Amino acid sequence: MAKTGTWVTIILVLLVLAIAASLFLRLRPAGGTIAEIYVDGRLERRVDLSGVTVPTRFTVETERGVNVILCEPGRIRVESADCPDKVCVDFGWLQDSAAPIVCLPHRLVIKLTGDAPIDAEVG
Amino acid sequence: MKRTLFLILTLALLLASCAAPVKRTDTVFAMDTVMELTVYGDEALLEDARDVITDMESRLSVTLEGSEINALNSHGSAALSPDTVKLLEGALELCALTGGALDITVYPLVRAWGFTTGEYRVPGEDEIAGLLERVDYNAVALGDGEARLPEGAMVDLGAVAKGYLDDAIAGLWREEGVKSGLLNLGGSVYALGGKPDGSAWRVGVRDPFGSGYLGVIEARDVAVVTSGGYERYFEQDGRTYWHILDPKTGFPADSGLSSVTVVGQEGLLCDGLSTALFVMGLDAATELWRGRTDFDLVLVTSGGEVYITDGLESVFSLSGSYKDKEVKVIRRG
Repeated sequence: MAKTGTWVTIILVLLVLAIAASLFLRLRPAGGTIAEIYVDGRLERRVDLSGVTVPTRFTVETERGVNVILCEPGRIRVESADCPDKVCVDFGWLQDSAAPIVCLPHRLVIKLTGDAPIDAEVG
Repeated sequence: MKRTLFLILTLALLLASCAAPVKRTDTVFAMDTVMELTVYGDEALLEDARDVITDMESRLSVTLEGSEINALNSHGSAALSPDTVKLLEGALELCALTGGALDITVYPLVRAWGFTTGEYRVPGEDEIAGLLERVDYNAVALGDGEARLPEGAMVDLGAVAKGYLDDAIAGLWREEGVKSGLLNLGGSVYALGGKPDGSAWRVGVRDPFGSGYLGVIEARDVAVVTSGGYERYFEQDGRTYWHILDPKTGFPADSGLSSVTVVGQEGLLCDGLSTALFVMGLDAATELWRGRTDFDLVLVTSGGEVYITDGLESVFSLSGSYKDKEVKVIRRG
């Protein structure tokens, strides 16, 4: 009987530890700001914006056209593009994960990962 | 004894980690916009949603050769599938409900202004007057699975299609047992249930005068759709012309509202009304709302005042630079 008690204690301790660990993993603040660049719904590139120290440019080239992306410490935007409407350029800096930068003609989406204060934006 | 205990506890542990449905997301480019799908459940749910989108686009697209609407516009008549008939009927009802502030036959004018191609221009008065003669939703004849249009008339379901698509996907997911999902079809949002943790989906209403959002709606089993002039516009000779046209004048709607957000259980209604009420203005929108119980509103005037109808009192809150502003609550009485 004493043996069973020991087992139960061990398992209970493990259970509590497991729950604590999963809570920790779920609730811990996101480590930095990650931007994800998608083309036609496929993840093309991930940029850790908190790791950016100097302004950095790169281009995303697809069969539909070219977008020049500018990263600065903690933020990201489309600097220029050869799309007809330039909505992606006019968008400016990306602010939160609920309202991504979208270049519809090039099917390019840039979004931030992690929790935003909102889940979606209308308008 | 101890083996049984061990087994039970292990099983409990396993269940605790597996019980929550997995979050799945997808981005779809369709209907001239970008659609974000979020659902808690199987990967197949996303596939089902994509099928619904593809099917609807292939039937409703104005520009896609071979679509039912494209055929109707190019030949003046076309056979329609039962689902398209249902949408067209629903759209025509909304045209009537709003006294033509929503008119699905305004397309020839939208085209003349260049909003369909991005080659913007201000049409001459004579051109507008001529095209206005073709605009009349009452002239759309619908019966026996067939639609007919008068000479020169064209139908565009763009003002209602995304809301209808919200309803279709949410309905399908519900049948498949989904408890939690979020659709954002190019600014036409549908919140299915709440989030898995039990809280409501938080939908931001965009600030029509800048970037970011002015307030948040806690949404649960409702559609949230916004129309605003800032969505698509151009400037010429110091004037701004936006894409929502008043079907009565043929010019961009100028009702004193900067954005209209409609919240209700039916996406089709919310989508169609957001456009129509933007055209109608604050007073007419309020009057229409008083006669119904199936939707609520967030109205932002061009002066930056924020009005909500009383059904949203407990779920709407201002945020950001709007935090200290006053929200005017419109009541039924």
